[in-house]
Amino acid sequence: MRYTRTATFLLVVASLSHAQDAAPSEREIIQQLVQQVKTLQEKVTALESQQRASGPFNADTTPQPASTPTPQAADNNASPASLSQELHELRGIQWRGFGEVDYKVLNQRTPELGTYGFVPGSRGNFYIGDFDLLLTARINDKASVLSEIAFGEGEAQTFGVDLERVLFNYDYNDHLRMSFGRYHTGIGYYNRAFHSGTWLQTTADRPLVMEFAHDGGVLPTQAVGLSFTGSIPSGKLGLNYIAEYGSSDTHLQNLAEAGIDDEDNGNHVNVGLFARPESIPGLQIGGSIYHDRIKDRSHESEASLGQTIVNGHIVYIRHGIEFLNEGFLIRHAYQQSSTVYNMPAFYSQISRQFHRARPFFRYQYINANQGGFLEEFVLRHGPSFGVRFDFNDSVAFKTQLDHTMRKGQPDLNGLHLQLAYTF
Amino acid sequence: MHTKLTIVLVAIWLAGLAGIAAVAQTDDVAVVVSEKNHVANLTKPELRKIFAGEKHSWAGGQAIRLFVRAPGAHERAVLLKLLDMSESEYKKYWTAQVFRGEAQLEPVALFSNGMQKEALTTFPGAIALVNLQDVKPGMKIVKVDGHSPAEREYPLR
Repeated sequence: MRYTRTATFLLVVASLSHAQDAAPSEREIIQQLVQQVKTLQEKVTALESQQRASGPFNADTTPQPASTPTPQAADNNASPASLSQELHELRGIQWRGFGEVDYKVLNQRTPELGTYGFVPGSRGNFYIGDFDLLLTARINDKASVLSEIAFGEGEAQTFGVDLERVLFNYDYNDHLRMSFGRYHTGIGYYNRAFHSGTWLQTTADRPLVMEFAHDGGVLPTQAVGLSFTGSIPSGKLGLNYIAEYGSSDTHLQNLAEAGIDDEDNGNHVNVGLFARPESIPGLQIGGSIYHDRIKDRSHESEASLGQTIVNGHIVYIRHGIEFLNEGFLIRHAYQQSSTVYNMPAFYSQISRQFHRARPFFRYQYINANQGGFLEEFVLRHGPSFGVRFDFNDSVAFKTQLDHTMRKGQPDLNGLHLQLAYTF
Repeated sequence: MHTKLTIVLVAIWLAGLAGIAAVAQTDDVAVVVSEKNHVANLTKPELRKIFAGEKHSWAGGQAIRLFVRAPGAHERAVLLKLLDMSESEYKKYWTAQVFRGEAQLEPVALFSNGMQKEALTTFPGAIALVNLQDVKPGMKIVKVDGHSPAEREYPLR
């Protein structure tokens, strides 16, 4: 009898003890319920906004015949997207815009014509750079279309439209993803990572070596043709390839005087390989080799030359750290003579996120051979530093100071302020 | 009389323990796919690649369709932990992925697990994260690193 009472007492004590342990779990349940209520409130808000946003397009109220839903219809019915996605989708086409407002001042009276957005004759000025519209649409599970339309600013507030990219994409599987159309060439990392969206960039501008050709850059950054990419079975090494074949006819902005150089490129071949090892998430190591034939019209007699561009890059983006490093060797070999010019270039950029601020530092270097095709670039190198401040997930303000040392010319100092946004 | 009382108390105690065990498992988030999908196990790096949009298709070539929960849900927190991103970084990351052409669309964010179930039923290539207690018939649970939800070594919680 005594043992029974003792056992009963112990059981009750044990139960009470577990009840106390369970108390925090009940709080968690309450928190989950509160969370679910919040989620439902968000859903109602989203549906109301969706209803308001789709108002003008509800004119067609013809009842649809009851039939087996198509995948697209099923998508619309079964998977209503989040509010932001709904606001960026119109009849199956997703869109997003990127814009910027810039103020740039240099400590020289005669700016380089190829310096992006800079108007000849002025020392400092405002400009809006590229206003970029990205449109994407899924045709089916494997096929999609992407287009990037940039409204770019020219001289004296004139604006031109450039179809930066228009691509028909077909993803056969992870090992073979094809794109047909106009693309940004896969020379290195930066060109395919940031395209024309300055909001995506930490810095206010692209590294000089990666500047678009029509803005004064040295690389054939755009082309029309075929692009293939995919993963290579390589286990934890995470190897990927890229192969491109197309025409990269480039109009190179002349830095020293008004006008352009038409490189009149032949078809190019570009192959690249990069690894994203599983053991170090965020790390990408790779390189590429690009080759085409171009014409040098900068001299009296037109000359044909082979252009080979070798790239190597190491990139690490994780834990708020962005560490970009790319090196290039641009080789020009004249066909009519044995003259060969090798132009090395690199940039290294590091930044770290601290709450909303991201201070950054970049050092860039270009060394063009005297007498070579790109001699006007001369030797130039120097640091850039500044800070990017994100007001929210869509608007950022960047302040950047540049110091560039140029061979045979005075050093160039610049202040670049930029308000970059996406919508 | 006392024996009966003891039995009743023991039963209550055991029921309490079972309940506590069930509540303890609520933190586990299951990786679910369509029942038509043949995948049975994924490694954590594979899962990270899938939800980061770096892996686009299943072994048979079926396109992967990502469905995620909207901000605020426990599954969303587990997703961000898996990707090692903040909510802000996640949004910027997917804006960049679409801009780069690495992904056709941002993952569809759904407001309830019921919607996730419908998505899994509709799209054979769909994958989603669902609280274990919310897993419904029609959802196939995939092991992660060889472990099922509720196992001690299960990594998603």
